[in-house]
Amino acid sequence: MATSTKRSVNVGLFVVIGILIFVVGILTIGSMKKVFSSTITVKSIFDDVNGLKIGNNIWYSGVKIGTVKSIRFLANSKVEVMLNIEEKSQEFVRKNAKAKVSTDGLIGNKIIVIYGGTQKVPSIEDGDEIAVEKIESTEEMLAVLSENNKNLLGITSAFKTISKNILAGKGTVGMLLNDERLYNDLDQTLGAMKKASVNAQTLTASLASYSAKLTEKGGLANDFATDTVIMKDLRGTIARLNETVSSANVMVNNLKTASADLNSNKTSPLGVLLHDEATASNLKETLKNLESTTEKLDENMTALRSNFLFRRYFRKKEKEQAKEPAKEEVKAEENQQ
Amino acid sequence: MSANKKQFVYGKSLDNAFLAVYDAYVFFIRFFREIFRGRMEFQEIVRQCYAIGNRSLLLISLTGFITGMVFTKQSRPSLSEFGATSWLPSLVAIAIVRALAPLVTALISAGKIGSSIGAELGSMRVTEQIDAMEVSAVNPFKFLVVTRVVACTIAIPVLMFYCSLVSLLGAFLNVTLNEGTSFIAFFENAFEQITFLDIWTSVAKAIAYGFTIGIVGSYQGYNASKGTEGVGKAANSAVVTSMFLIFIEEVIIVQVSNYFRI
Repeated sequence: MATSTKRSVNVGLFVVIGILIFVVGILTIGSMKKVFSSTITVKSIFDDVNGLKIGNNIWYSGVKIGTVKSIRFLANSKVEVMLNIEEKSQEFVRKNAKAKVSTDGLIGNKIIVIYGGTQKVPSIEDGDEIAVEKIESTEEMLAVLSENNKNLLGITSAFKTISKNILAGKGTVGMLLNDERLYNDLDQTLGAMKKASVNAQTLTASLASYSAKLTEKGGLANDFATDTVIMKDLRGTIARLNETVSSANVMVNNLKTASADLNSNKTSPLGVLLHDEATASNLKETLKNLESTTEKLDENMTALRSNFLFRRYFRKKEKEQAKEPAKEEVKAEENQQ
Repeated sequence: MSANKKQFVYGKSLDNAFLAVYDAYVFFIRFFREIFRGRMEFQEIVRQCYAIGNRSLLLISLTGFITGMVFTKQSRPSLSEFGATSWLPSLVAIAIVRALAPLVTALISAGKIGSSIGAELGSMRVTEQIDAMEVSAVNPFKFLVVTRVVACTIAIPVLMFYCSLVSLLGAFLNVTLNEGTSFIAFFENAFEQITFLDIWTSVAKAIAYGFTIGIVGSYQGYNASKGTEGVGKAANSAVVTSMFLIFIEEVIIVQVSNYFRI
């Protein structure tokens, strides 16, 4: 075989290889998209991935930050999803962020949405696990919605009955709306309540004023609360009062004993005076005699004044009595000067 | 056996295949060498452009119009399931501009122009007209191959735009008959979703397809042999090979454009 032909065959081979490498390279770059951007891998464990596929996008705050790397079953029928997250977005996703399966638009592809996370917590790292929030499936949501509809129907039916009763004037609310007498009573009650509230307001103002006085310095209550000396004096007074009460008790007891003794011992002089009637009549007689004697003595004394032997003495005494007021006046003037 | 081994490098079939690749590679390199060498045959390029465009215009109009109409008709049931028939103009426009128009234009042109170039150059080769040109100091490669390849590379993108328009008109006809959408509403809706990336990708596709049709047709015709049988074979090979390469290029360009899109 000629050398030139051999060379041509080899060149043809290299051209084919070159074209193949070019085509494969283009296809690889096109399908792997950002094959050259460095990523970290984190995982999330879901109960249900709702048809998520390898290569589906990962969003964080509405921005695509990576793709789903792999999906595999775990032993307990859970699904482990490995997520490739761009290194340049890593710092924004926090360790306490959560992941959920969502949809791109209304009928679009499934996506993983990462959300939440707080600035205090450090950023995620390669190999971390992102917690998953359980999203109820459409069937579960529809079941709940159906239950809600039933409840809503019940509530509206009840409201219908209530409104009918109200219109018919039945029940408290119905009577309240339809009975004029009740309305008037209520109006009066409200008026009374208004007055009461005004009074209460006045009372509150008075109480406020009173409490202000109580707290005023120098007041009794304030002294009670703040002055330690008054309290000490008060305690001393109370102690002395106690002593007085004890002494009064003793005295009352003595009096009681004495009165009992008087009642029981009728032979003693006071007992005789109190209990013996004969002695009492004698005593009355004696007093009568003393009265008549006194009258007679008075008469005798008047007669004695008229007697010439004692007349001089009485005149002298009258003169002395007349002089004593004049002396007292002179003394008072001297004191004033 | 040992004689056979010495006779062929990798075996007869492989050697022939690699030699064919080598010949194509040499032809390809020669084209780029010739295009920048000497005076450009502009008049011949313009004449070829006119010939290519004129020859394909009716066929492309018909296929483009039918493609647009049929695609719209086929897409309607899927969208009407979601009550989204109002999205038809956008959907059809994206499909036509991104893929259908370049591909339909290229396939029609491959059949019409590729075979024509292959047969024309093949007959010139077997009737030794090309050899006569060489003898008369005219560069046949420059005059016959370069002009046709450049004309195809220019004419196919123009035809592609024309095909897009006709396809959209076909789609509009179907939409307006079914939904009663007005002309302005249809085109406003259609171009809402079209981006410059879509248009430039289509232009790149059309340029690549045009170049492929021209170079493959010229290569097959220029290297034709074995008399009138060789002419038919050249025309046939030009169509088959260019269609095959067009689909490979489609995949590659879509992958590259997706890389920029995302």
